[in-house]
Amino acid sequence: MEIHNTPKLTLFHCINSFEETPSMFDNCQVKTVKMACASMTKDIHLLRAFEAGSDAVLVLVCPDKGCRYAQGSIRAKKRVDYVKTILDDIGMDGRRLSIFNTTAKDSRAITDIIQKTLVALETIGPNPALNHLN
Amino acid sequence: MITGSQKPINEIIKLVEPYKKVLILGCGTCVKTCFAGGEDEVAVLASALRLSFKQMAKSIDIEELTIERQCENEFIQEASPGIARNEAILSLACGAGVQAMAKRFAKEVVLPGVNTTFIGIQESPGIFTEECSGCGNCSLAIFGGVCPVTRCAKKLLNGPCGGSQNGVCEIDPDTPCAWHLIIERLTTLGQLDNLKTYIPPKNWNTSLSGGPRKLIREDHII
Ligand code: SF4
Ligand code: SF4
Repeated sequence: MEIHNTPKLTLFHCINSFEETPSMFDNCQVKTVKMACASMTKDIHLLRAFEAGSDAVLVLVCPDKGCRYAQGSIRAKKRVDYVKTILDDIGMDGRRLSIFNTTAKDSRAITDIIQKTLVALETIGPNPALNHLN
Repeated sequence: MITGSQKPINEIIKLVEPYKKVLILGCGTCVKTCFAGGEDEVAVLASALRLSFKQMAKSIDIEELTIERQCENEFIQEASPGIARNEAILSLACGAGVQAMAKRFAKEVVLPGVNTTFIGIQESPGIFTEECSGCGNCSLAIFGGVCPVTRCAKKLLNGPCGGSQNGVCEIDPDTPCAWHLIIERLTTLGQLDNLKTYIPPKNWNTSLSGGPRKLIREDHII
């Protein structure tokens, strides 16, 4: 059985909503996935992040009215909500997937989101499929 | 198109649980359009099943394949190698597709992953509406292209009931009154006189109520 102490996160983001800064990823391992637009958020990619062992998946997108393709952030939110229901249905807890509206410059808000996710994971627990992943 | 929606995941888990190797077989036509069984839905379902089974520490091999249409032998053939490699097929086609697979692969387990719902259209992105009940004797010409057999809750053929209000049906304010739509259409077409034609009680023998139907085209039978 794999020992899995450092929480693993996957962070999907559109090009305008995220920029890494030092110490942003303290106390966790984060894989970032850049998307040209939030509208590229797809249910299968979110699920595969969990299959790959993520304990939590974050999606960072522009504020609703800030999306340069008009509805990207809104579409992303709907898809995230859909995958959350799948996670709930299969007993994985939809709370381990979340979406936030951020701007790349606001590194404090992004760091805060990551740290709050780590705190939430203490309650939600690690990826329940992890110990059995091939 | 035939519309349907994917069965709840927990129902699907129970269906596939007895098998160690499962082919999830999508259909790339109707059910793809209504987001129930195209390749995207096959991939999402496969992923959700893998995650679910891993939590239960159960092993399952899932193969994914989507063919153009499960209701036509010509396309079904493509699934043969995948079917041979697996213990069960979870079909995400409509009920016709599932049965076509079961007929073609008589010794294989074919499970339905979709609840087939109705013959309809995508009215706007993500919204599908029922338009035809396949009654076997189409009268759309007289009704200006709006089907009261399907879209009037009471299947009235000679005008609206007294419950039609402000264009909506009395059974549900979200359902447009079919007869309101028929009259609007006939007005636009200048065919309001159609309403003077008395429509006799419908002969349901041509519908499913007359028993399972068969369509024969002699000129295509060799
Ligand atoms: S099997 Fe059903 S869903 Fe697939 S193309 Fe045929 S009618 Fe449509
Ligand atoms: S009249 Fe019959 S065949 Fe024509 S649309 Fe209505 S149900 Fe379908």
